[in-house]
This record gives sequence, structure tokens and C-alpha cells, in this order.
Amino acid sequence: MSTRTCPSCGNTVPEIDRFCGQCGTRMDGAAPPPAGGGAGKTMFFSGVQLSGVAKLVLVKADTGDGLAYQLSGTEHVVGRTEGAILFPDDPLLSPRHANFMYRDGRLCVLDEGSTNGVFIRIHSPARLESGAAFLIGEQLLQVEALAPDFGPQPDAEGTYYYASPKRASKMRLIQRLRGGDIGLIVRARGDSITLGREGNDVNFPDDPFISGRHAEVAIGLDGAFTITDQGSKNGTFVRIAGETPLVHGDYVFVGQQLLRVEIT
Amino acid sequence: MITCSRCGKENQDLYKFCLGCGAKLQTAPAPGAAPAPKPAALAEMLPPTPPPEFGSPSISVAKTAVPPDPASFSAMGPTITATSGAAFGALPGQPQAMGPTPPPAAASPAFAPPAAAVPESGPRPLAAGGPASGPSVQIGLGSVPMQVPVRQSPLPASPAAASPFGAPSMSTSVPATAIPAMQAAHVSPFSPPPVETVACPNCGKQVASAFAFCGGCGHRMKGAPGAVAEAAVARADAVAPVPVRIAPQGHLTLIRPDGTEGGVCPLQEGVNLIGRGQGALFDADPYLSPRHAEFVLSEGGLEVRDLRSLNGVFVRITEEEPLESGDSFRIGQELLRFDAINPPTPLEDDTEIIGTPNPGYWGRLSVVVGRDLDGPAFPLFDETANIGRERGNILFPEDGYVSGGHCQLSVREGRVFLKDLGSSNGTFLRVRENRSLPSGSLMLMGQQLFRIAYK
Repeated sequence: MSTRTCPSCGNTVPEIDRFCGQCGTRMDGAAPPPAGGGAGKTMFFSGVQLSGVAKLVLVKADTGDGLAYQLSGTEHVVGRTEGAILFPDDPLLSPRHANFMYRDGRLCVLDEGSTNGVFIRIHSPARLESGAAFLIGEQLLQVEALAPDFGPQPDAEGTYYYASPKRASKMRLIQRLRGGDIGLIVRARGDSITLGREGNDVNFPDDPFISGRHAEVAIGLDGAFTITDQGSKNGTFVRIAGETPLVHGDYVFVGQQLLRVEIT
Repeated sequence: MITCSRCGKENQDLYKFCLGCGAKLQTAPAPGAAPAPKPAALAEMLPPTPPPEFGSPSISVAKTAVPPDPASFSAMGPTITATSGAAFGALPGQPQAMGPTPPPAAASPAFAPPAAAVPESGPRPLAAGGPASGPSVQIGLGSVPMQVPVRQSPLPASPAAASPFGAPSMSTSVPATAIPAMQAAHVSPFSPPPVETVACPNCGKQVASAFAFCGGCGHRMKGAPGAVAEAAVARADAVAPVPVRIAPQGHLTLIRPDGTEGGVCPLQEGVNLIGRGQGALFDADPYLSPRHAEFVLSEGGLEVRDLRSLNGVFVRITEEEPLESGDSFRIGQELLRFDAINPPTPLEDDTEIIGTPNPGYWGRLSVVVGRDLDGPAFPLFDETANIGRERGNILFPEDGYVSGGHCQLSVREGRVFLKDLGSSNGTFLRVRENRSLPSGSLMLMGQQLFRIAYK
């Protein structure tokens, strides 16, 4: 029986099947089999690395490294119900969440329109747009630039809005709880907010995954932010916007899954 | 014994008017003679300081105090006579009860011009003030604090003359049998003619028509002489022998930042619209919407309805209040909003929204710093969260109007409550749509504080 290789997961699919039996990828687009394809499945279990092929190592907080996924195809979709790399028990994953793919020979990750996004650990100070989310420890946070305060303005009827007195602030930090609710909001007194477990502008003493001094977010002149990791143990993750190239040693959060990128 | 020339009834010598018909008795003791022994004796008979009965229906006062003779009672009725006033005013012991009697010349300096305007005030001390108290007895103005009338009394010297205004409200404690003697104690050589009075349109007090200002509230009495009689008649008509329905009345009193009262807005039965443009009390507050709130006054009480105003209506809480998600309240200068935090619910595709695992937050308190703009927001997690300037979980150290420990949020059996912790300036909860207000409630509308009173 003639077969072909699934471009998403590398599975061997009978010619007569229209969908990949393993990941559900549509097969009748007659995509050409990827170079070096066909052996992915076997190699995955054998644990033998293919030269030039990346893999994703699942990092478990308690037990260390877990499964490794060879990225031997051209596209490797991660999802809860759809794709080559499935985590059916992770409610934070969209059915089809992210795609690890090769673009011009480089491994990239692309958010497939997921609800919760894809987060990547920063190596160096990174730019954050106003409203962008980032992760430190278990905390999902957002920073927003605040518009300059021109004082109270009357509404159409000439009535002024009564509000609490406030001090001028350029930015605020928002904690997002699971489910989408806001936990806390902190307004910065200066141009930056330091974050950590203790001794910072904002502290999360009960979060065991946060370092004493973890990260700092500073607002720039253009209203965008620069986020800097302060040498934390578990790192600072920012949500990616578009197709983002990956290098060896990168960490990527999808849903509750932390994946380490290994490219040899 | 004096035999009444009109009805033939025998009256004691000291009586000034006939007990049977109220007619003036012919032979009267010389002025000054009668009071000599009696006041002391009466003072012993009477309670040393009869408690004033504010607000007690005055009609019953008259019935109690006056001998139940129809003719005599009619003299006490709406018709203004000197008799009732003189009789009540004659209560001995009253000067003590009423406080120091003002010396003649010093009787309320502010009131001197009106007093001077009454020609009879000098020679007829009882005439000027006595009758004025008559109508006030009859029309239920017993709630007027008696100190006020006493202070404004234009009457000179005589202890009896000093208290005619106040007498009616105190007379319920006087045995009816004491009345004749008291009347006798103040027999005057002058026949006390009725003095026309007019009801003050502002406070309702009876004011001698010759007076330019109301003694009760200082209102300028603009009424022409012709209006006096009409007013008196109107007052008299208002006194029905059967209980009449009294329309509820109320008012909003502006409380200035220094605690003084800054003006009154009357509330009539029915719907009263409050807003910027609805009166001097409100026009200067740009935080009031043009149509801000309605106060609906009825016999059942007072209800306030927020007319979807921009800034809402806040009522000072006096006990623990249940909170709903989205409720706002004000402490000091702070506008705060409570929001419940609910367990996460999956989306349609069974995905849950990512975020910090909830460490037990059941709600969030946000400081509202602008329209649709939250400033700081504090998660609520323990069973109680105390809010204050110095003590508690959520602090406003820079707001001097917040007490050290001001209020408390708590959660019990899934419900959230707000209570004040004895703060100086109170905790004000925003009215959701409408709310019944007891008399005496304090409320914030716009940037102003008001006290509600009605009955």
C-alpha cells in the first residue's frame, strides 16, 4: 500500500486517507513530503537525534525533563485536540494552539489564533507594547500606558465625573487571574515597576516560582515598555505577537506546558 | 363669688373670665394683688419643671387644659382671644422652667423693632403675646421649640408675660383644676383684646401682624394687613374637629463641609426632582446631573430614585449592608467599587483563560479614578478586609477624610457585606436604582452632603 508522510507530524498516512490518522491534518492538499521525513515517528521513540532537526523537551516542574518531541516535519501543531503534539488534559490550550514550523531552515513558532497565546522566555530586555501580557512565576501580568491626565472633563450635559483623587501616573500593572478576572492593579509612581517576591515595587510573596528580584518593566518615551529579567531562576516570558524565530535553549509556554527547544 | 352677668354662673373671686361662658367678669381684683400669695402655692402644686411635650397634638392640649365646658372651650378654639393665651401664660413656675426671664429692655434685641411697632406692648403686656400662642396651640405647632418663642417675646417684666408662648406645650402637665387659679393670678386691669396674627409662611409660627419679621425664623413678613385676617381664617379653617389627613412634608438640608447647615430644599408629597438647575442648593455643583434623582414622598415614607445620574446617589450606611458585584461606595474622598471574582468558566471550545491561579480571591476593591478608569485595585481574600487610613488591609494614608479604621468588607456564606467601623465621616453606599430612606438619613449627591428629614 502506498503511503505518504503527514507534513504536520510525520506520521505515515495511507494514500487513500484524506486526513492524518494521528494529528488530523488534511492530506489531500498533496503537500510534498518534507526532506528527511518518514522516519520521525520511529526516531521519536528511539530517542536518537537527527542532525539539524530540532526537538521540544517537555519540562516538568517536579520531575525535570519529560517527553521529547522531534520536530521532523515542516509543521508541528500543538493543541488540545488537533495537531501532532497533543495535550488533551490541558484546559488552557486551544484545540489548535501553536505551530512549530521551519521557515527557510529556521525553527519558528506561530500562534495559531489561540485564546491564551504563546509565551517565550526573554534572553535580553524585550519590548512590550501597551497592554501586552507577560508571565513571571505563576503570575500573568499586563502593563498599560496611562494617557496624560488633562483634568476632569464634563460630559455632554456639562456634568463632571466624581472620582477619587489620584496622583499622576504613566503606567499601571494588572494581574490577570485564571478565568480572565483582574486581581490587582498597581499604578506606578515613576517610570518603572520592579517585580519579585520581596523588596520590590510589587511583590508576590506567596508565589514559589518568583525570585526575590525577578523583573522590571519600564515605560519608554513612545508609550511602549521594556521588560528586563533581573536574573530570575525561572525567567520572564512575554507573549509573542507573530511568527517568532527560536534558537537553541529557548523556553516556550503553551497552555500549562513548558517546552524547551533543543536544536543540534 | 362673681356672678356672671351673662350666664349667671358663679365664679370665684379671682376668676377673670366666666367658667360657664367665657365672658369677661366684671369685678376683678386689682392687678398685682392676685399674684401675691398664689404663685408660691401654685408653684408647689405644679411640677417644678414640667417636661415640654414637643410634637404632641396641640388640640388635645387645649382639651386637657381647659375646663370641659362647651362655651369655655369655644373660647379656646380657633377664634383668637386673649383668654387662652392669658390663661396659659399665667402658669406660675414657668419662668423657672423656661430659663431666665429676659429683662424687659433686653428681650431679644433682634426683636426690638417689631416690639416697638406694637403700640399696646407697653401697657398691655399680655395682649401682645398671649393671643399669639392661642392659634399655635390649636393648629398643632407644638413641635416648635418653646425656647424660640420665649426668646422673641416682646413682653416686658411680668413672669407670666415672659412665657405665654411656651405655656401651651407645657400645659398638659397642669391639672385642669389649676386653671382657674392660674387665670386669676394674672388678672389685668386691661381687657386683653385679640391681637391679629398671621402665620409665618416659612415656619408656620403665628406672628403678630404688626411685626415685620417672624420671630421664629426671621422670615420677613410681607403680608399686608388684609392678608392677616385671611391667613388667620385659613389657619382656623385648617383646624378641623375631626382628625384630618396631614400631607407628608420633608426637606433636604445641605450640610456644609464645616458641619453647618447651608440651606434647605423642601420636599413635597409626591415626586421631587433634584438636579443641577433645580434650585440654588444644587445649581453650583457641576457634579450633579441636570436630572439627578427623584425623591418620592408619601405616607409610606421617602424613596430616592437615581435617574441614571452620572455620579449617583450615596446613602450613609447605619448598619451592615449586603454588597453586590459592581456596587460603589464612598469613604472620605475615595470612590470605591466592589467586584466579585468568580471561579473561571471555560469558553465554548472548553478552553479556560490563562492567568494567575486564584489564591482564594473572592472579590476586588477598585479605586475609581475616572470614568471607566480604575486606579489601584486590591484583591480581597480573607474573610474580612479592613479599609482605613492607618489600620487595615487596604489603606488610604493620604486621604485625611478617611478614618484610621474606616470600614470593613466581609464575606459570609457566599455573600459580601459592607459595614462602617465607627468612622468620623461615614461610609456611603451608592443607591442601585432606588432605596427607601428613613428620616435623618445622610446622603451624598454630587460633591455635597445632605440630610433628609420628613414626617
